[in-house]
Formats: sequence, structure tokens, C-alpha cells
Amino acid sequence: MSEVRALIVDDSSVMRKIVERALRQAGLESLVVHEAGSGTEGLDLLRGQQVDLILSDINMPSMDGLEFLRQIRLQNLAQGTPVVMITTESSEEHVRQAIQAGARGYIRKPFTAEQVKERVLPLVSTKS
Amino acid sequence: MALTLRDSLHLVVEPKNLDASVEEVFGLMLGERPRRLAAAGDDRTGQDLESVTAVVGFGGVLSGACVFRSSTAVAIRIAAQMTGMHFDAVDETVQDAIGEVCNMLAGAWKGKVPDLAARCGLSVPAVISGRDYRLHVQSPEFQLVHAYRFQEGIFHVTIICDRFQ
Repeated sequence: MSEVRALIVDDSSVMRKIVERALRQAGLESLVVHEAGSGTEGLDLLRGQQVDLILSDINMPSMDGLEFLRQIRLQNLAQGTPVVMITTESSEEHVRQAIQAGARGYIRKPFTAEQVKERVLPLVSTKS
Repeated sequence: MALTLRDSLHLVVEPKNLDASVEEVFGLMLGERPRRLAAAGDDRTGQDLESVTAVVGFGGVLSGACVFRSSTAVAIRIAAQMTGMHFDAVDETVQDAIGEVCNMLAGAWKGKVPDLAARCGLSVPAVISGRDYRLHVQSPEFQLVHAYRFQEGIFHVTIICDRFQ
């Protein structure tokens, strides 16, 4: 698979590292990771950087993941880039809201590398 | 008549849900299965009075909190195992890791009760570390206090419910 540029948005730096590790374990070895600690930081980064994949937490201070997702669409940033939510919120309602806001996938924390592989690889496989 | 969360109270107070949440979070994130201890006594000794406490608030149909507490030594071991890093003391990364553990425990616990999963939100974690502090909760409706053995140490997980609809 060719190089994949991923943006990981999470207010926890530990979770950002764990998600990165899971992506590499899933087979994305040529991975370039950009990190953002909030939705606002994520939007700033997307204004200057093209990415192939966005993974975002939902519960974050200042701008949550759902608002981040809405702003991506409203501001026409990262058009066509798949967004996967990674969050502790697991209800059908949260999944529905995320899909409605434009998410292409949903992974509940805690997760396994296998779950990341199953849900993320199909979204970036067109780059291979 | 619409059911309220009080109608699901037997599920909310079920102790096994908390045990299952601990098993899930530690199993998936650390590859460990902490063993629940019969009594949730205080594990702090003279040599290890410093502790780390993480709090994630519940809001919505249930208001309260999920509280994780351990000695600094246990917190450091958990963070090291989660991140693959080495820590000599509780720093921002250790606090971050413990906050995330508490966040996942709160999410997993409320996910066991369908009414809570959908209608109860989580705050971002707050983490306190140091010595000589106490977390005081005034007359909660109920609380679950469980202690678990993690390697050679102990950690506590408390679910506090102030009010539910």
C-alpha cells in the first residue's frame, strides 16, 4: 500500500499514540501521522495539509468531534476524505449522529488493532 | 407510560457490569485481567501515600461520576503498559493515560445499560495527583466501590450516582 497520510484528532496524546500504533499494526506501515488535540486544531491543520484519512474522538473540550465533522463539511475541507470516529460513546444515537454528520466509520474505545484494521483498511485501500 | 431510568435501576446498580467494564478495558488496552478483591479497603501505606485520581462526570438522565484511583506506582505501571514508554514519576503522560482509562471505564459501564448509553453523556476526564487529598461526595443516591488487583498493586473504581431521572 502506498503512503497514507492520517490525521488523528484526540485531546489525549496517549490515545493519539495508541491509535497510531493500531494503524501501523493494521498494516499501514507507510503512514504519515498528523496529530491534533482538538477539533479546532484539526481544522487548522486541514487548511494547510491534505490527508487520506481522519480519525477523531468525539468527547473533546472546545470543539467536539461531531462539530469538527460538521465544520469539515461546511468549510469544504478534506473533501472525500473518509472520517472514522473513535470514541467511548457507543449508543445507536451517537453512531447515527456521527454518520449523519459525515463519518464513514465508528470504532468504540477500548478497541483492538483488529477492529481498526477491519474498519479503516477498506476506506484507504483505494490508495494501494 | 414512559419508562424512566428508575425502571432500569436493577441494571444500573448491578455490580457485575462494573467488573465486566474493568475486564473489557484492561483486557483490550493492556492485555490484563485485574481480579476483583472482596473488600474495597484503603491500599495506601506509609511509603506510598501519593495517589492518582481520575474523574469522569456523567450528565443527562444520570448525574454522577466514575472515579479511578490508584497509588502512583500502579498508575505508572498502567501508563507504561498502555504506551510502551518508561516513566519514573507521574507526569502529564501518566495523568493522560489514567484519564483515558477512566474515560473508557465510564463509557463501557454506561454502555451496559441501554437507557444510559443513549441518554447519559460523559465529561472529559479530570486527573488529580498528589497526597493528602480526599474526594468528598455528599449523600449519593448510590455508589459502587470496587477494588481490583493489578499485578502487585491495587486500584479502585467507584461509580457515584447523585441523581437520576
